[in-house]
Amino acid sequence: MKTSNSPAIRYLLLSLLLITVPRLIWADTQWALQSSTLTYHVSHPLHQVDGVSHAAKGKGVCQSGQCDFLIAAPVKSFDSGDSNRDLHMLQVVRGADFPMIVVRTQFPESQIAPGTVHVDLEVQFAGQTAHYKQIAFQLVMQGSDLKLSGMIPATLTDFKIQPPSLLAMPVKNDIPVRVEMTWHRQ
Amino acid sequence: MVVYRRAELLRWRCLEGEVQVNRQNLRCLSVVGILAVFAILSAGLSAQTTTATLSGKISDSGGAAIPSAKVSVKSVATGQTIETQTDATGSYSVPNLAAGDYEISVSADGFNTQESKVTLTAGSSQTMNITLSAGLSLQDLGISQSQVQGNPKEQARLDKRSHMLKVHQTLGLITVAPLVATVFTGFFAGGKPTVTSSTDRDLHAALGSATAGLYFASAYYAIFAPKIKGTKVEGNIKLHKALALIHGPGMILTPILGEMAFHQRSQGERVHGIAHYHGQVAIVTAGAYGLAILSVSLRSGPASRPVQHALAILGRHHSPETDTLTDSRAREELEGPSPESGQNGERKP
Repeated sequence: MKTSNSPAIRYLLLSLLLITVPRLIWADTQWALQSSTLTYHVSHPLHQVDGVSHAAKGKGVCQSGQCDFLIAAPVKSFDSGDSNRDLHMLQVVRGADFPMIVVRTQFPESQIAPGTVHVDLEVQFAGQTAHYKQIAFQLVMQGSDLKLSGMIPATLTDFKIQPPSLLAMPVKNDIPVRVEMTWHRQ
Repeated sequence: MVVYRRAELLRWRCLEGEVQVNRQNLRCLSVVGILAVFAILSAGLSAQTTTATLSGKISDSGGAAIPSAKVSVKSVATGQTIETQTDATGSYSVPNLAAGDYEISVSADGFNTQESKVTLTAGSSQTMNITLSAGLSLQDLGISQSQVQGNPKEQARLDKRSHMLKVHQTLGLITVAPLVATVFTGFFAGGKPTVTSSTDRDLHAALGSATAGLYFASAYYAIFAPKIKGTKVEGNIKLHKALALIHGPGMILTPILGEMAFHQRSQGERVHGIAHYHGQVAIVTAGAYGLAILSVSLRSGPASRPVQHALAILGRHHSPETDTLTDSRAREELEGPSPESGQNGERKP
């Protein structure tokens, strides 16, 4: 009896394995943004300004080995420590017309591993869309959390923003944005 | 056309009377030839279309049209990008493109961005239909359409505010020159208490009037700049505004006291009474004004340390607490009022 059943069980186990393994490999994974710190840096001959936001929201979905991440932050959530300067920033970047900064990225799920990853980013800001190719991010896994950090080499011209000036001296074109995020696997 | 007519004219002149001299005839013919070649080339070029048109339809995987999708067409050669949006039928068209290679990027909320390449040839009208696969949308993040929608009225207020404050800044800086000159000439304006030695006093009074005029014009642009609702005053601007409470009344008081002192001196009297404080009030006013300019001009570096020190004295140092407040405010904007918030979204103490 035992011997006659064993091939059937074996076939059953094998077919179960064949069904479940690909599903485990390509299982839909969702990521939720738990916390974030986005910091833009502006250089002026008289000032070095950092504007910080912790108000970003984000979600990531990985399907069939391909991940799609979306992050959004309100423009007015950036705080440089001076309300007057923040209002000027809001005006210059047309923050009332375009209240959200939206970042999209797609990459293979296999890239989600500790180390350095290079991803393409699409950033919508100030009514313009800029594409950044192969931006390096450091990934650190902590349990089911993923810590990500990197720098987006943004410039004012990428978004057709006129450089604001103080005392007739304009700010530098480079406005690098430092990204620090913690994503939670769901 | 003009070139062609000139060539024709010259050809006739050459054939009519000037055939006798062979060398001249030869030169004439060569000029005619060159002009004719130019005429033919320019006519040919104008007849040829050098641009191309790229058009198509953007749809989802089910074939439904995607309106308001953003289509970016980037020239590989020049890096120049032209952006357009699809209409209600999901159609787009980008005319007048130079022949060459292009990178097309199509994005729409709720769809994955699609990138492709195309080579356009001169005079062609190429159709490129693109299908977008479904992706994450801002609604998936809990962000409503109203939060993404622009507010042109608010933007107009911000624009007006920035413009007025720019004028305020410019006039404020211009004011520094007559202010310094007024303070400087003030040291000589005392003079002898006689009616005849009033030249220095006149110059001092004229500079003082110019300073006051510019100052109040500058103040007008700061006072009447539109206020933006829900903005907490933070940072050096707080010190800048606090100093205005010193130099503002000072700018009113100084000329009054100055006028009194001027009158007393012109009468040959010694300056007495409250007019005696004209100089002191002027110095304090000028000092507060200078500090007010520095408070918004300098932030980091050794030059700004006194300002930072003044801020520290006033206890208005930018602290992590203010960050938290701003962030919670922004979060409330995204998520709506928190349970601790009041009915109108304001934070309970």
